[in-house]
Amino acid sequence: MLKSQRQKDFVFDSVIYVVLFIIMLTMLYPFYYVLIASFNKGSDSLLGGVYLWPRNFTLENYRVFMDDPKWVKAFLISVLRTVSGTLLGLLLTSIVAYGLSHRDLLFSKVYFTVIVFAMYFSGGLIPYYVVLRSLGLLNSFAVYIIPSMLSTFFLLIAISFFREIPAELKESAHIDGAGELTIFFRIILPVSTPVLATMALFMGVGQWNSWLDSAYFVQSEELRTLAFRMMEVINKSNSPMDSLAVANSASAGVTSFSLQVTSMVVSIVPIICVYPFLQKYFVHGIMLGSVKG
Amino acid sequence: MELETQPKSPGTGGGRRSFLWKRFKKQKVLHLFVGLGMIYLLIFAYTPMFGILMAFKDYSISGGIKGIFTSDWVGLRYFDEFVHDYQFGKLVRNTLVLSLLKVIFAFPAPILLAIMLNEVKHMAFKRFVQTISYLPHFISWVVVVGVSYAFLSADVGVVNKALMAMGFTDEPLAFLTSPNYFWGLAVGSAVWKEMGWWTIIFLAAISGISPSQYEAAEIDGAGRLARIRYITLPGMKGTIVVVLVLTIGSILGGGLVGSNFEQAYLLGNSINNPTSEIVQTYAFRVGLSDGRFSYAAAIDLIQSVISVALIFSSNYIAKRVSGSSLF
Repeated sequence: MLKSQRQKDFVFDSVIYVVLFIIMLTMLYPFYYVLIASFNKGSDSLLGGVYLWPRNFTLENYRVFMDDPKWVKAFLISVLRTVSGTLLGLLLTSIVAYGLSHRDLLFSKVYFTVIVFAMYFSGGLIPYYVVLRSLGLLNSFAVYIIPSMLSTFFLLIAISFFREIPAELKESAHIDGAGELTIFFRIILPVSTPVLATMALFMGVGQWNSWLDSAYFVQSEELRTLAFRMMEVINKSNSPMDSLAVANSASAGVTSFSLQVTSMVVSIVPIICVYPFLQKYFVHGIMLGSVKG
Repeated sequence: MELETQPKSPGTGGGRRSFLWKRFKKQKVLHLFVGLGMIYLLIFAYTPMFGILMAFKDYSISGGIKGIFTSDWVGLRYFDEFVHDYQFGKLVRNTLVLSLLKVIFAFPAPILLAIMLNEVKHMAFKRFVQTISYLPHFISWVVVVGVSYAFLSADVGVVNKALMAMGFTDEPLAFLTSPNYFWGLAVGSAVWKEMGWWTIIFLAAISGISPSQYEAAEIDGAGRLARIRYITLPGMKGTIVVVLVLTIGSILGGGLVGSNFEQAYLLGNSINNPTSEIVQTYAFRVGLSDGRFSYAAAIDLIQSVISVALIFSSNYIAKRVSGSSLF
């Protein structure tokens, strides 16, 4: 009896481990494939059969990528918008959330109604576009930063985090004569690393990956982001007409496909680099958000 | 009334109003902080809401923000035009099919993954699988589409090369450029991207179940499957309902697995257009590309009204049926 139960458990476990292993491979292999394709000679990749390691190893794809001022510029714009957008977003969101985290704040019902309503209703893309245009934000770097500085979702997460901070911390500072600004910057922010890290990850990744605003609101070539350039290259080769179109410097066997995978690696690597450091925070952070709805 | 007619002596707190004023003054820095946020929302969330008016007007781009108020009313003309658009039937069908398929396949996937992960006893393996599984969540749709291209395209795609090498097919299958494959492609890549992410929430729900329940069931002789069925699943019920409400409320946008628009826009092309064009991509094309602002705003408005109705009705039904709800 006991033995058959154990055998059953063994079968059960084996099935689960095999399924999870397959899921893991499906998740990992695409990234790995893109990586080896970026180190393989472009014209050689088109022949197929490069599955496990680069068959015709070359750094040519990366050289072409780095020699192209368009890609370099796009990369820099993406870095700049990610850093500044995240910092300013964190600053505004946490300042507003700190104010709202006080339970005895006057008119807080009004404030919360305004926030929740904005969460569920929106004007839609076209009116939003018209507003940005009348503010003179179209076709400027500011359009990447200013409209995305405050999200109602992060606001609610930050508020519920600040509310967990023991009130004594603030009270003792008050007694010592500290003003709200001092308390916020010197006491609240330093103890809020988990929620700040979570928000930084999401805001940063959002900024880094965003191509829609570059497509909607920006015409200037100078302001294109990495994600937008990538979208252009992928979309062009995805369209049935010119799927074999060769990139600008075809001489070295670089194809639009190899340039595509290279740009993908360049865009994935920064995310993978910050990911392990922030992971322990965001799992907690997202649960916090989910509990509060 | 009486209180207001009394002479106010500042400092001694005469009356409710001056009491409020004193409290407000004490909190003035906090109100300044919050005020920043309110001004921000006013500009970027509420002003666009007034812009909805342009769906009922003949708005022209030259008028600027004032143009919304000065342009002529046309009533429901643009709504009427959309309903009679020759593409209307196709657009509505594609939007609904894509949204429903995503709910059917993407909603159970993270629940199953969470249950399986919960049965794993090697913590290192469990953590590793989890870490890998939510990595794609942080990768943009652009990259996901690029990966799909690298894998599935007819000329360079690994899958086609492999299928041909193994003799399953003589010529490459047009995964990316055939209307027959678009829905499968979109749903598959969406599940791939977001399954691991939503698993976090379901695992959190499972970790809230008391271990003594499992011990008791084990003593009573319940096998592994029985424990999943009678303890794990009921323990997740509240979370499942909340996530389902969220999914249904955002179904037109793509539900849990996000962004029908980005998928349809990036994976769509002239050949798979019969299945890949959805209401949102159409609104985008007529709006920002063709400059027909009022028409696009009307299409947008129909969508957001339906979405809001879906959120509230699914929440209401969930509350009635299970007692759990989002708000």
